[in-house]
Amino acid sequence: MAIADTSTLHRKLTGRTGLHPVWLAAFAGLLCAAPLLAVVWLGMSGAWSDYLIHIANTRLAEFLINTAIVGLTAALLAGVIGTGTAWLVTRHVFPGRNLFQWMLALPLAMPAYAAAYGWYDLTQGAGPLGGLVPAVHGPFGAGAIFGLVFYPYVYLLARESFSAQSADAYDAARTLGCSPFQAFARTALPMVRPAIAAGLALVVMEALADYGTVSHLGAPTLTVALMRAWAGEGSIPDAARLAMLLVSISFLIFMAERALRRRARQTAASGHVRAFRRQRLSPLAGMLAVLACLLPVLMGLVIPAARLGWRAAYTPAATGLMDAAVNSLTLAGVSGLLAAGIGLGLAYAIRTRKLAGRASARIASMGYGVPGAVAALGVLIIFGGVQGWLDTLWRGMTGSPFPLVLTGSALALIFAYQARFIAAAIGPSESALSRVTPSLDAAARTLGARPLTLARRVHWPLVSSGVALAGLLVFVEVLKELPATMILRPFNMNTLAVTAHNFAADERLGQAALPAVLLVAAALPAMIWIARRITATERSRDTVPPSEAIPGLAE
Amino acid sequence: MTKMASDTPRVVIRGAEVRLGGADGVAVSGADLSLRAGRVTALLGPSGAGKSTLLRAIAGLERLHAGEISSDGTVWSGPGVHLAPERRRCGVVFQDFALFPHLTAMQNVAFGLRHLSSDERRQRVVESLEAVELTHRARAYPHELSGGEQQRVALARALAPEPSVMLLDEPFSGLDRRLRADLSAMTLDVLRRSGTASLIITHDAEDALASADEIALMERGTIIQSGTPDALYLAPASESAARMLGDAEAFAGTVEGGMVATPLGVVAASQPDGSAVSVLVRPEGILVGADDEGAAAARIVSRRAAGPVVVFLIELAPGGRVTARAPVSHRAKAGDTVSLSLDPAFVSVVSG
Repeated sequence: MAIADTSTLHRKLTGRTGLHPVWLAAFAGLLCAAPLLAVVWLGMSGAWSDYLIHIANTRLAEFLINTAIVGLTAALLAGVIGTGTAWLVTRHVFPGRNLFQWMLALPLAMPAYAAAYGWYDLTQGAGPLGGLVPAVHGPFGAGAIFGLVFYPYVYLLARESFSAQSADAYDAARTLGCSPFQAFARTALPMVRPAIAAGLALVVMEALADYGTVSHLGAPTLTVALMRAWAGEGSIPDAARLAMLLVSISFLIFMAERALRRRARQTAASGHVRAFRRQRLSPLAGMLAVLACLLPVLMGLVIPAARLGWRAAYTPAATGLMDAAVNSLTLAGVSGLLAAGIGLGLAYAIRTRKLAGRASARIASMGYGVPGAVAALGVLIIFGGVQGWLDTLWRGMTGSPFPLVLTGSALALIFAYQARFIAAAIGPSESALSRVTPSLDAAARTLGARPLTLARRVHWPLVSSGVALAGLLVFVEVLKELPATMILRPFNMNTLAVTAHNFAADERLGQAALPAVLLVAAALPAMIWIARRITATERSRDTVPPSEAIPGLAE
Repeated sequence: MTKMASDTPRVVIRGAEVRLGGADGVAVSGADLSLRAGRVTALLGPSGAGKSTLLRAIAGLERLHAGEISSDGTVWSGPGVHLAPERRRCGVVFQDFALFPHLTAMQNVAFGLRHLSSDERRQRVVESLEAVELTHRARAYPHELSGGEQQRVALARALAPEPSVMLLDEPFSGLDRRLRADLSAMTLDVLRRSGTASLIITHDAEDALASADEIALMERGTIIQSGTPDALYLAPASESAARMLGDAEAFAGTVEGGMVATPLGVVAASQPDGSAVSVLVRPEGILVGADDEGAAAARIVSRRAAGPVVVFLIELAPGGRVTARAPVSHRAKAGDTVSLSLDPAFVSVVSG
């Protein structure tokens, strides 16, 4: 019934009979899978080149060790901060608790490399903290930066899991002989563990995909190796082979987290959930809690941003920043809109319950496990191939090469962004659309609403804010994205991220500061809106829980 | 006195008062209740009456603001005293069962048995699961169990540490009707055999009447009446107590010469002359006779069969309608003029 309704609806909406949501889903799935397939195809074909043998013999071990140190340090720090703050805000009452609920998510607006510039500048020998604290440098420094900017993934998921827990489980443990601490350790903590694991998987995948931070702090990971193979050696096949290694690690984490979650489905069996009554903290303990919640926000966002702002204020602005800002906003805006639209289509495809639709959506959601550099490499391979084919065709007809419309345009960038970030857009739309139950459709239809009216009067009001959330998530992610942008940007087209990175790479942190600050300024309002939306406690019709809003987690 | 020993209450609650913060206000105010070993007490009342809060106070999950809860001479809750829940030996079956989702059925049952050696523990887990006929599901996780199975695991888990009191918060509310009947029979059997004092919260009067050894009626935070099911049914202490256990007709009147007049006849009253009273009559107590008996003339508006009984809606001559219940074999039909009289066993007079 609902299936028929949805497909009729789409027929009416599009004016064509061909565009069923499942087709759109299949297209999106292909879009996300194609770059990876291209990378694998190129990586598997041809011989191991001298370069790859060379680095395998010399530096591969260092890359791998750095990757491991960075990932583990980030996971440890993010795990402690995220779980601790989530436990504080869900189970206790202290001044500013409501504010911290969403403010703790804000460091996600801070690009990791920008935080790295700020902290490095503060703690290096000549900086104001130089000598007082260890300089933020090397793999441990990079891991610490990732822990500080990505802990919100753990915080958001752990917070949701803590607040979804019924107090009855805790009480049951008490009546079965547990002290308060034992009850926490034996029931609350194990129940929140899958959420923490999911958050940590995201933290580690983000750390693996990063390029700006690790290259600035001198902790070359696999991503750096990939970028060097592409930029330094100009060898796309070498880069593809390194990319395969990187993707396998990323997917291993992805699959492990999925498997863990499948084994321990942690939903309460019945609908009745008795909320915890939050414990009021004494004034002293309350102050400590405020401090514990304030520190991560200060260290992940405010301090590095303030340092960069201060540096920017005392450095003459570089030229071309305006163009870079317009480019950044345009790319992020277009990608956000596009991803929101495709994400909604995928959500409809999942709703049809057709296997093809669900499978496509699943494939598209795995795109988040593909690091940006790898997605970009794949797009490069595909577009290069198509361009070559067009050249041959065109040359046969006109005698001159085909104009560089594909590889030389922003189209390639948008393609790579979609491949990587559509996953972020599926969850919120799906969550929003799940409120449109088949019986709502039926009720509207029996009340005389035609399919288009149904879409306008019932579906859109219910899903619009979820779609907006999806678009904004992708907007923020694209603003911050660096490695894919570096690989695929057309000549002479700079974005804020690329500008900041190029200055920082030249050790001109003063010049890098302004573009980095502008990035934060652009991402912060969107992030505030997102954070407030996904942490809203009321079960209002607009609430999207973090587990459905955070990319890569949508089932 | 020795004969009375088994009747000594296991848990005594006197004047219990619990205030919850915020809009909930005073949830329990001045509740009195005794729970006896080997007996099942049903706590019956409308939602919001404070039943769950009282149960949580007994388990030590809420603090008392006044009054006292004691067990076998030990004060559990009282002025300045609050024994931690883990030291009370209360088994609790929560409304949502509160099974630990990360543990199997077996591990859930073993949760409260840490003080035992591993052999004893295994032994006790097996016994407990056997008692609820769930040994074959021992290794299943809660989400793999049906609602009824979850309820049984929760029961086994609460009983395994051999608690001195069992507290069950609407244990059957989430289950469908047929399952409920089977489970309720099994649960009561297990509880009685265990010899603990048991308190079951329910809002279903039929449930309470059929299953409990004693019933306590709760309204607006207090226990308004407690006693055996038949005593409560036949001799309610107030109109609202009467209505909690089933239908009742109430007639307001004034005592004159030890009697009070109702449209259905005169009834003896123990209240002093001149006091305003309510005469409560169960539908079974309204006897529908042939017209010629000439007591109170009335006309049958409708006759509805409900299984073994018929329910008559009857219009009284002076105005007003009453409901009467009679065996299904009763011959009167809609439109008949009949005479009504009262069976004193189903009539009680309370101060109104």
